Amino acid sequence: MTELSEAALRDLVDRLDTGVFVLNRELEVLFWNNFMAANSGMPAIEIVGHRLTERFPELPERWLRKKVETVFVLRNRSFTAWEQRPYLLRFHHNRPVTGGVEHMYQNCTFSPCRNAEGEVETVVVTLQDVTDLAMAHRALELAKEQLAQSSRLDGLTGLFNRGYWEHCLAGEFKRSLRSGAPLALIIFDLDHFKVINDTFGHLAGDEVLRGVGERLRAILRETDIAGRYGGEEFGVIATDCEVAGACVLAERIRAGMEALSFAYEGQAIRVTVSLGIAGNDPAVDDYQKLIAGADDALYRSKREGRNRFTAYHSG
Amino acid sequence: MNEPLQLSEDQCDCLQEIVNVAMGQAGDSLARLLGVFVTLSVPKIGILSPADVRRLVGQGCVSATRQAFQDGRGKDGLRGEALIVFGDSSFRELADLLDYDEDMEGAAEHELLLDISNVLNGACLTGIADQLGEELFYSAPSILGEGKRVAATLEQDRLQWERALSVQINYRLENRSFHCDLLLLMPDSAISLLAGKLDQQLEDL
Repeated sequence: MTELSEAALRDLVDRLDTGVFVLNRELEVLFWNNFMAANSGMPAIEIVGHRLTERFPELPERWLRKKVETVFVLRNRSFTAWEQRPYLLRFHHNRPVTGGVEHMYQNCTFSPCRNAEGEVETVVVTLQDVTDLAMAHRALELAKEQLAQSSRLDGLTGLFNRGYWEHCLAGEFKRSLRSGAPLALIIFDLDHFKVINDTFGHLAGDEVLRGVGERLRAILRETDIAGRYGGEEFGVIATDCEVAGACVLAERIRAGMEALSFAYEGQAIRVTVSLGIAGNDPAVDDYQKLIAGADDALYRSKREGRNRFTAYHSG
Repeated sequence: MNEPLQLSEDQCDCLQEIVNVAMGQAGDSLARLLGVFVTLSVPKIGILSPADVRRLVGQGCVSATRQAFQDGRGKDGLRGEALIVFGDSSFRELADLLDYDEDMEGAAEHELLLDISNVLNGACLTGIADQLGEELFYSAPSILGEGKRVAATLEQDRLQWERALSVQINYRLENRSFHCDLLLLMPDSAISLLAGKLDQQLEDL
């Protein structure tokens, strides 16, 4: 035997790990291979001779008609890719256990099928399961996003790290210069943090910093941007906020931290914070000056007995 | 690198004629497909270096797609990549022409770009191949990038081609207009093969 019989060819198409089906111009199904039957739950006998859209009414019919028509008119292949259209027909994926996906991702090809006279009479559609590819791609995207996130975050507190926080401040400052919207900056620092470290050890100190970060997140509005500015120093960018509003926020932070109590080896560790506030009055033309102003006010709070806030006044 | 590869004046004229015919057919197909009148400018043919292509792509490019094509000869055959560089963002109004129901955002907009690329590439390349007595096979088109990222992609890619045959096309559809550049990037061996094919055509005249 030197040539495959028609039956053997048909068997071959049925054994493919790819969906193969044939449509005429009216979208009637002329052929439906095993892959299609197994994945759709629709045996060939029930669909051959019927319109595809009649059996799968969820298909976007207008679009599909045009897609198939393109192949007839241009006598060219046409494609769909999972990135843009996750699937043509919603099939279950073959990972019922390892899962993580709702459906099979598919790449499809619509090819012209010519008859003996060279006329395009039908369109053969192949449907490839690219779920693994899509999953790998998604995992990669997720990893990239996490990497970008972690390069912005302070590992201990989960707040933004200094580099990213300053980047945000620079951006918000520019925006407020343009729009004329107020902007306030709060910088605060834990009182006598060195004593906590020396008395209870660095692990306890880390626990305190983590707790302060957590409480800070709970206090802030969604539009406030918090970062760990230094060892035990934190910064809050209060957007669209006058100094008066920042004073209210600062008091909430002060009171919130004062109320914290950390249980450590049977003892209670208490903390207080000192805060400095600066707003972007017209004299401030550079975000560094905003930081300098808030720092200045912070040291005033320290000098005046700690556990308090001070707003910066130039001059 | 070898001597800069140039097509002779005769070869250029012949190619221009072939592309004119191909694009005429493409325009006709498009008109039938979209159901609107399509007017095409006479395509401008040229041979570009990678630097030329980067310059072209760098200029206000909105999106670009790529699609590989090849004949049946394998490595030494007529093969390459077709790049379509879209210069403006008026695709939204093309969406209804391809019967897109969905909101034209994100993925749907990309799919439309890919569909239009496939139609343009297919129509143009098949037209050229038909006249040369060749048959071409195409891969699925993909998005090369958008905005500045296109230029960056071309910058990063180790470019495997030395010359690109550029076919600049302007399409005007009834009440709508858009233009794009179709670039056929081909290895020198494929351009030489094409030149040989053109000589054959010239002899047959």
